[in-house]
Amino acid sequence: MSIRSEPLVRVALPPRRAFSLAAWLDREAVFSWLMMAGPLLFLAALVGYPLVYGVLLSLQDRIVTKPGHFIGLKNFINDFHDPVFWRVAINTFVYTGAATLLKMVGGLALAIAMNQQFRMKNLIRALLLLPFIVPTVLSTVAWMWMLDPAFSVVNRILIGLGVPPPGPSWLGNPTLAMFSLIMINTWRGLPFYGITLLAGLQTVPPELYEAATIDGAGGWHRFRFVTLPLLKPVILIVTLFSIIFTFADFQLPYVLTNGGPENATNLFATYAFNIGMGAGQLGLGASIALMMLPALALLIVAISLYMRRA
Amino acid sequence: MGNRSRRDFLKMAAAGAAGAALAPTAGRAEGKTITLLQETSFIPPFDAYMQKTLIPAYEKLTGVKVVYELTSVGSSPTRISTIIETGSGADLTVIFLLYPFLYADKLADVSDIAEEAGKQQGGWYPAAKEAAVVDGKWKAIPHSNIGQLMNWRTDWFAEVGVKKFPDTWEEFYEVGKKLKAKGHPYGLELGHGFGDNHGWIYPLMWSFGSHEVSADGKTVTIDSDETAKVLDYTRKLFKDCILEDCLGWVDVSNNKAWMAEQISCTNNAESILWFAKAHFPDIAKVTDQAQNPTGPKGRFHLLNCQSHSIFDFSPQKEEAHKFLRWLTAEKQAGGWLAAADSYYQPFLHAFDNAPMWQVDPRNIPYRDAMATAHLPGWPAPPDRRLAEAVAKYVIVDMFAKVCTGTSTKDAIKSAETQLKNIYKAA
Repeated sequence: MSIRSEPLVRVALPPRRAFSLAAWLDREAVFSWLMMAGPLLFLAALVGYPLVYGVLLSLQDRIVTKPGHFIGLKNFINDFHDPVFWRVAINTFVYTGAATLLKMVGGLALAIAMNQQFRMKNLIRALLLLPFIVPTVLSTVAWMWMLDPAFSVVNRILIGLGVPPPGPSWLGNPTLAMFSLIMINTWRGLPFYGITLLAGLQTVPPELYEAATIDGAGGWHRFRFVTLPLLKPVILIVTLFSIIFTFADFQLPYVLTNGGPENATNLFATYAFNIGMGAGQLGLGASIALMMLPALALLIVAISLYMRRA
Repeated sequence: MGNRSRRDFLKMAAAGAAGAALAPTAGRAEGKTITLLQETSFIPPFDAYMQKTLIPAYEKLTGVKVVYELTSVGSSPTRISTIIETGSGADLTVIFLLYPFLYADKLADVSDIAEEAGKQQGGWYPAAKEAAVVDGKWKAIPHSNIGQLMNWRTDWFAEVGVKKFPDTWEEFYEVGKKLKAKGHPYGLELGHGFGDNHGWIYPLMWSFGSHEVSADGKTVTIDSDETAKVLDYTRKLFKDCILEDCLGWVDVSNNKAWMAEQISCTNNAESILWFAKAHFPDIAKVTDQAQNPTGPKGRFHLLNCQSHSIFDFSPQKEEAHKFLRWLTAEKQAGGWLAAADSYYQPFLHAFDNAPMWQVDPRNIPYRDAMATAHLPGWPAPPDRRLAEAVAKYVIVDMFAKVCTGTSTKDAIKSAETQLKNIYKAA
């Protein structure tokens, strides 16, 4: 047996193509990055840059008109020694916690009510969005009038019910001022919750309710074991958004009380603004604004983990 | 999406970006346009006079266009900060309270204009120098003071037998007690507004001899017997004379309460009478104005000097300088001031007996109050530490605290801790 190697067949290689821009652009890896470049640049410019600049400012003794020097964490240490800073931190947590809870419960009730069949359903659903659509500054000014003892529709009703005139001082009493702020924020944010949860409700298949009914589940059990579990992902997402918006709220407290009386309604955003812009202390102001970040980050991570587990 | 359309998309995007980059940018004729940033006036004819009379006159005279850029009341510090940080925007700006000191590094020296005006127009009130001279240089040209005085209801005061506004803080308390008992409380702001709170709180403090920081800018002096006395006084004043809502007030609140006939006395600029005359003539008839009451250490008022500054980095600095010189001359300044009756009180003695003071003699106390007016935080140097203390409402909140039940000692302690932090951190 002879072993003979087969002659190698010359495979005709295709002629090497010259570099073609069109072909290069057609490659998925290139094209997808090109498509993403715009949004990424947008994010880097409008989110990344201000954030990095804010961090840099917070590490400097930067005052308006003057160059800053690196001072490490001194601004943060100053914040920790400032009694008002702690008051502001507690206020922000109370405000966010209470308003988010109220919006969640109220929004769910609203969504369930809106999910029923009644006349002019679509019109009423659209009208519900009004508090969310009206510019915050305008609606806050309207609330200022409504809570003013001289003109207050709220106090008129209370006086009619037997409360001694002039009725409660909604913005003058420190506790009531925070209460008013929470109520107005809830009023403004409720439609967002309601409409989003309504959208979630409408994706629940009616067969599940039918099956639950056949199994003998009453109204509460249907809600507890069918509606709520299916709605949970939507509730979590809306809550996440709501916490972020409420935690960083500026317009409402700034217009309504600017943090008064005696800091009862001062939040991170208003306090940081007054120090940064009112006093020209850009570094110190940035350090206060940045203190929102760790708290928010923790909340977001906790909610995300919970969602993943669920 | 086919290959072709992908390429087309990219081509279109590239063309769009190039187009945007090459599009003609809106520019102003070099050397021919200058911009003045000004807060909207509570007295509309004031802005109208600038827009319809002064600007056309200046353009006719020099060919230079002036853009009068209005911003909402209280927003100019934010706007000025932005202009300074970005190095672009208006060429001149209105500026007030402690801001000429805070922004001094970026404001042009206008001493020549100030000295010339002083020589030609009877000299400046000392308060003008307190408000605009930084390290020996005029960094702003004081236009006017928007004084904060007591506005009071003559009819309700008469009901409790008072024909003349109380001369001392103690008398002020006694009258207020009677008025509140009759359902006519005082309305004095104790919230986080930007003027009507400091307008009476600082003068009251000074009248009792209380000061937050000494003139050397080093020693925090808030913990004193005088502060304790003024806080005790304020606690009883609030309880017996003042409307509870004042704790949450911002600057619009007292005007609203006045027109609603809710309060018998407040501390405000002349605008309250001006507005009442225009819209509530019956209320205007029973409105009068008076200087703040006096205390053991005298009578004081808040200096709320409205000035104009030129940004040092402005490419139109020379033109802005010429315009400001023209605007400060007696003819122009007088016309502009007169457009607002005497809401803006001039700092030059040439106007002491100007016809604007005859429009309504009830405004004359505003002119006389300038002799006893000082900047917030006086006698501490008006620097960035003081600006921080003011922005943090340290003093206002100390007063508000005693009104909501905090002890005098604790309120002082809390303010002292804050002030020491601010002054130590510097």
